[in-house]
Amino acid sequence: MTISRREFLNQNAMGIGSVALAWLLQTERAHAIPKNIPKPNQKFDLRPKQPDFEPSAKAMISLFQHGGPSHMDLTDPKPELTKFDGTDYKEDVAYSFANAASKKLLGTRWKFRKHGECGTELSELLPETGRIADDICLIRSMHTGANGHEVSIRYFHGGIPGVLGRPHLASWLLYGLGADTQDLPAYMVLTDPGGQPVDNINNWSSGFMPPLFQGTVLRPKEPRVLNLDAPAHLKGEPQAQNLKLLQTLNRRHAKRFPHEDDLEARIASYELAARMQTAAREALDISQETQATQNLYGLDQKETREYGTRCLIARRLVERGVRFVQLFLAGQPWDNHSNLGTTLPSICRRTDKPSAALVTDLKQRGMLDETIVHWGGEIGRLPVTQNQGSPEKHGRDHNGQGFSIWMAGGGFKPGMTYGTTDEFGHRAVENIVTPNDYQATLLHLFGLDVNELIFPYNGQVQNITDGRKSRVVEEILT
Amino acid sequence: MRILTPIILTTIGFNFTVAESATPPTYERDIRPIFRAHCFDCHGATDELKGDLDLRLVRFIQKGGESGPAISLGAPNKSFLLERIRSSEMPPGEGTVSDAEIAIIEKWIATGAKTARPEPDSIGPGLGITEEERSFWSFQPLHKPEMPGHESFPEEARVRTPIDYFLLKAAMVNSANADSVSVANGQISFAEDASRRTLVIRAYFDLTGLPPSPNEIQTWLNDSKDDWYDRLLTELLASPHYGEHWGRHWLDVAGYADSEGYSTADSERPWAWKYRDWIIRSLNQDMPFDRFITEQLAGDELAGPINGDLTPQQIDMFSATGFLRMAADGTGSGANNPEGRNQVIADTLKIVGTSLLGMSLQCAQCHDHRYDPIPHTDYFAIRAVFEPALDWKAWKVPNARRISLYTAADKKKAAEIEQEARKIAAEKLVKQTGYMQQALDQELMKYEEPLRAKLRDAYETVKGERSDEQKQLLTKHPSVNISTGTLYQYLPKAAEELKKYDAKMAETRAKKPVEEFVRALIEPPNHAPETKLFHRGDHQQPKQTVTPASLSVASPTGQPIQFQLNNENFPTTGRRLAFAQWLASRDNPLFARVIVNRIWMHHFGQGLVSTPADFGKLGTKPSHPKVLDWLADEFISNGWSLKTLHRTILSSTAWRQSKAKPETRSAFPISLQRLEAETLRDRMLAASGQLDRTLFGRPTKIKEDDTGQVVVDGTQTRRSMYIQVRRSRPVAMLQSFDAPVMETNCESRPSSTVATQSLMLLNGQFILEQAAKLADRARNEAEPPDAEQIELVKHIRRPEIQEWQYGYGSYDEASNSTESFTPLTHWSGSRWQAGNKLPDTSFGYVSLHATGGHPDILGRDVIRRWTAPASGRVQIVGNLSHGSPNGDGVRGRIVSSRTGAAGEWVAFNGGSDTPVNGLDVEPGDTIDFVTDCRTTHTSDSFNWPVTIKLTAVGLKERVVDSKDAFHGPAASIDTIPGQIVRAWQLAFCRRPSVDEMQLAVNFVAAQVETLQRTPTGIPKGQTVTGQAVTSLCQTLLSANEFLYIE
Repeated sequence: MTISRREFLNQNAMGIGSVALAWLLQTERAHAIPKNIPKPNQKFDLRPKQPDFEPSAKAMISLFQHGGPSHMDLTDPKPELTKFDGTDYKEDVAYSFANAASKKLLGTRWKFRKHGECGTELSELLPETGRIADDICLIRSMHTGANGHEVSIRYFHGGIPGVLGRPHLASWLLYGLGADTQDLPAYMVLTDPGGQPVDNINNWSSGFMPPLFQGTVLRPKEPRVLNLDAPAHLKGEPQAQNLKLLQTLNRRHAKRFPHEDDLEARIASYELAARMQTAAREALDISQETQATQNLYGLDQKETREYGTRCLIARRLVERGVRFVQLFLAGQPWDNHSNLGTTLPSICRRTDKPSAALVTDLKQRGMLDETIVHWGGEIGRLPVTQNQGSPEKHGRDHNGQGFSIWMAGGGFKPGMTYGTTDEFGHRAVENIVTPNDYQATLLHLFGLDVNELIFPYNGQVQNITDGRKSRVVEEILT
Repeated sequence: MRILTPIILTTIGFNFTVAESATPPTYERDIRPIFRAHCFDCHGATDELKGDLDLRLVRFIQKGGESGPAISLGAPNKSFLLERIRSSEMPPGEGTVSDAEIAIIEKWIATGAKTARPEPDSIGPGLGITEEERSFWSFQPLHKPEMPGHESFPEEARVRTPIDYFLLKAAMVNSANADSVSVANGQISFAEDASRRTLVIRAYFDLTGLPPSPNEIQTWLNDSKDDWYDRLLTELLASPHYGEHWGRHWLDVAGYADSEGYSTADSERPWAWKYRDWIIRSLNQDMPFDRFITEQLAGDELAGPINGDLTPQQIDMFSATGFLRMAADGTGSGANNPEGRNQVIADTLKIVGTSLLGMSLQCAQCHDHRYDPIPHTDYFAIRAVFEPALDWKAWKVPNARRISLYTAADKKKAAEIEQEARKIAAEKLVKQTGYMQQALDQELMKYEEPLRAKLRDAYETVKGERSDEQKQLLTKHPSVNISTGTLYQYLPKAAEELKKYDAKMAETRAKKPVEEFVRALIEPPNHAPETKLFHRGDHQQPKQTVTPASLSVASPTGQPIQFQLNNENFPTTGRRLAFAQWLASRDNPLFARVIVNRIWMHHFGQGLVSTPADFGKLGTKPSHPKVLDWLADEFISNGWSLKTLHRTILSSTAWRQSKAKPETRSAFPISLQRLEAETLRDRMLAASGQLDRTLFGRPTKIKEDDTGQVVVDGTQTRRSMYIQVRRSRPVAMLQSFDAPVMETNCESRPSSTVATQSLMLLNGQFILEQAAKLADRARNEAEPPDAEQIELVKHIRRPEIQEWQYGYGSYDEASNSTESFTPLTHWSGSRWQAGNKLPDTSFGYVSLHATGGHPDILGRDVIRRWTAPASGRVQIVGNLSHGSPNGDGVRGRIVSSRTGAAGEWVAFNGGSDTPVNGLDVEPGDTIDFVTDCRTTHTSDSFNWPVTIKLTAVGLKERVVDSKDAFHGPAASIDTIPGQIVRAWQLAFCRRPSVDEMQLAVNFVAAQVETLQRTPTGIPKGQTVTGQAVTSLCQTLLSANEFLYIE
């Protein structure tokens, strides 16, 4: 621990009841076993907090690709697979859809080529990602061990495969670091106009942590923030007058109870709400962006406009101090069980350009150093065919044994690939990275230790990995 | 270690201090807890010893394992065990042995690895429970604490109950120079009693979750008898709303939800509310708490055999077992597999453990509990209690477990009705057959013989027996293929006729008695499956059989109390009944303490043990153990009466203290409590007068509004505890104020303070509606103004012009203007008229309502008058209509005070559009909508809604709708102080102070001023003063005084 006990107390005093604080200071002097200490009510806030050590990242944008992007068609070239295309695979395969199971290997239909100075090989389906190859760290050895969507999504977000009711990674970040902006919610979620992602609102749950640490959903259509706008008849001066009266009444009331912190906190929360009414609207107003920037994100093209808009909003939010932004897609468009030949290019066309634009834009603005961008799904896909009758209808089934994600900025080494899958892309075999490693590494970049960022729950001490094994993947950090 | 909350601080504090303490550490007291947390999994808890190292006894540790001795007495630096821990090699993976803990181990080895007492010669398998573990406070038998010197406190100390006695004593012990003198001097004391008004409000909210009405408060304030407080408690404890409020508290720990959870489908639980209602009823009856729990755990075992119809008692007892059916259950929606089933059992055990035992029982599901002496086997012994009813190998999905409340009579009735319905079906069939024949004949007429006969033959041959030729024929002439589904195309009238039969059938069937169910857990008779211990909690690794038993450490003999495997006296195994009896027995040290602590928590905002679901090592110790024990003992002695317990607590000086700025340092300071989510919503409804106080029944429906937020569907105003609890669709307002989203259950709610709450209170639909209703109510209930009040509001700028006025008069053709306008003076609640009654003896039917009205004879035309608020150009659209064929209809004119008549229309038994394009107006100009009777005034009801669009230079276009704008008498400014007083009373349960009145009047004046300047600030149907008072009301409903209970 890098801060002294006293510093810690000073920084956190507001979060601890005065009795406990007095006691702590007392014990520090006396080292005596205290008599029965009444434990104060737990109070939580979003004031900025010191990390354990110097962080390299301040914010993160996660472009979550629900469904399991087909890594052997996108990010992980497998010449052997192409060579043995159509022959029987000899290894055991765990299928999710037994009715369409096949052992026939299915080589990719798309060409790979090297990109950038680093020479990372990517598929022709991701031409724009190719342009940022020198900025990203491609991990080809992700492993959840489970094929199910929800199981692996919850593993990524909550730390344990399949288990619900756990706080999201972002909740842990907020809990540990507080917020850098007091004008906007520090953890925002951008959902797809097409509908909720698989696993629904569980994707931004604060689980056993208080709702203070829950993701605030920016809705895909107006109003993007609920209750943000005053109803027409209250807008402007009438509401300002209301607020003034309210705060006058509240201050008079608080005067009678000078020892009640909560009353002050609520007075402050009204001030934040009032600030948010302006700040959020401003942050969401992408018309302030230049035409060039809008075009960079593909706002001028029908196919990329929607996802591009959200990527751009994500940047604007981070620019204004938001800690964590996550984008979701409706359902799971990367779940290409059938018609791989058409469904995969289609989702690539929708997301490739905006995703790459985000990295480029952050870099241009000098924000990439402190902002992590994550692109990836919860699983990958199998090297064998999922039989759908005719070859053009073929797809691929789930695969949690090995798949790719990429990271950029915030302390990730640019222009590298890490880890490998076997020659057919079925299993991660070298430098395996689990979601728990992913979490440990991310927390590390934010200056937090995965094992020491703990939260009391049900009388147990919890951390994000629930004590499961994890490591900071130092090899991919600058 | 990164530390963020007090819980951990406490733990660290202990470790820290032990290392520094003077007495040498002992294995049992200091070392074993560390090993339990980090090492025993592989080195002692099971037969499989990693590296052959057993850490359970010091002599085993000295002997060591494959790598030789694990410690070297007196030499920490030569001890292999420490080396491995320091290097983080052990424990593998997590590496969480803290520096403080390592320091303790060092010190222990350095001081010779002492034990507290000689170690036994032999030990059995597993970790067992040591004396030290057993000596933990919560496992100690419950004894009533002595109260020596009860009389010694002086009267000033205000010791009203033993609670106060123990609190004061504790404060004296904690204070340096404490004796009874300091008590007498007031150095140690309680804060003064809160005012009577404060106490009445506090008691109302604490016991019923609802505010007192202004009248109720006044009654209690006027009560001059000495025992007013006692009677107040009696009255509130007898309120039916008591059971609702305290039922809601219980539903939190029980994990109540109206949906199954587990999967995204989150299917509805249509009958969970029967359990909720049972809880409310039982609490209202003050059912002894041991009985309350026994019925929830084993109602089915108590209910006796089912002979014919269920008795009301049986229905009650089955409903009670809903407690064990509250856990999320995905087995009815796709997860009917071993994992899904075992998850239901695990969640149910978690609910049982946290709610009734105050133990994190669930932590012993995979291995021995890391901190508390709960062996892995204990977990499964308790699981065995529930296994016969929740048998994962003979599972029942939720629908298969529900119990129908159909009586034999219901069944008979239903069968009779079905019989009737079938009769109708038979009649229909006869009819239908005839029609089919008719349609066929008709269709075949289109063909000539012999084709006609062939087609008929083909059609009438049974489908499977048609020859190829016949099939071809029918394919070639598809229109002959008449089916019952296409009959309507051939004989439309016949189809209509047949539909009538369908309707009649549906109508008949609807008469069947409605079949209701209860969500219950019912153990099948003669079913006693074996419970296996699951290695690592994994059902795929079953080990030894475990028999049902109590928690070892909570059993006085030191051995768990074994429950009978199968009690012969019951058709069921009787295990849950035995468990419930053990739970509520005097020997159980946990149960009464846990319950009493929970009740205390709800009354004071914090438990004596601040971790209500964890009385174990990681929980906190009781701040006042004697209070806890005295109350627990008292609770049992009073026959487990909750109501008596509430009275005991609320009678104490401690509870009656003032929370405002304490002049003396209280022996037990108490804090403001923020209203829980449900109470906040209920309080708003109560203030606005909208609260529907109906008890019980199906949950209130929810929906997503057009912004995607989950809200109550429609204008349902029942108490919030009746709102449907969908796990995946939490109601936004309730969730925002910390109502639990039931993953499993909720042991205590956090109290958050966030901006989203503020936004909701500033802009949320619900509060806006309630504020408007509160303003209406305040206006209707305001007392008439007195001179002082009229003086107060003299300075408020009167609305100069009423935008809309309603009157009668006439139009004068000669001058092309409205000749006279007399306002109608009587408001019926929905229409303006000339007198109390309609028709009026002298003015007949003269009246105006929102969309139209009725004129009388000529000269008593009705006039709806609009006054222009600004200069600009006006466009009018509207439709004058008259419905009756009698009389001669009505004539409408639009007359401008500046330019005269702009149009004239007549409507008789029909309608006519009344457009006017481009009328210039200046502020104060009037536009009259004059309707007269033409020649006769019989049957002259008319409708004439109009929309006026005012385009003014420099102002936003303004659209006014005569229907939306229609209003009754505008409140006079003079009544505003009275409205403020009433709003204050309804929201804050008190009158405003002089200052506050001035503040509020100034606010209203400022709002009126603003609104007059910007008419867009007035919503539809609202007046300027009405809107100003509504804003005031909204402010009151979102103020801290409203949100927090003093």
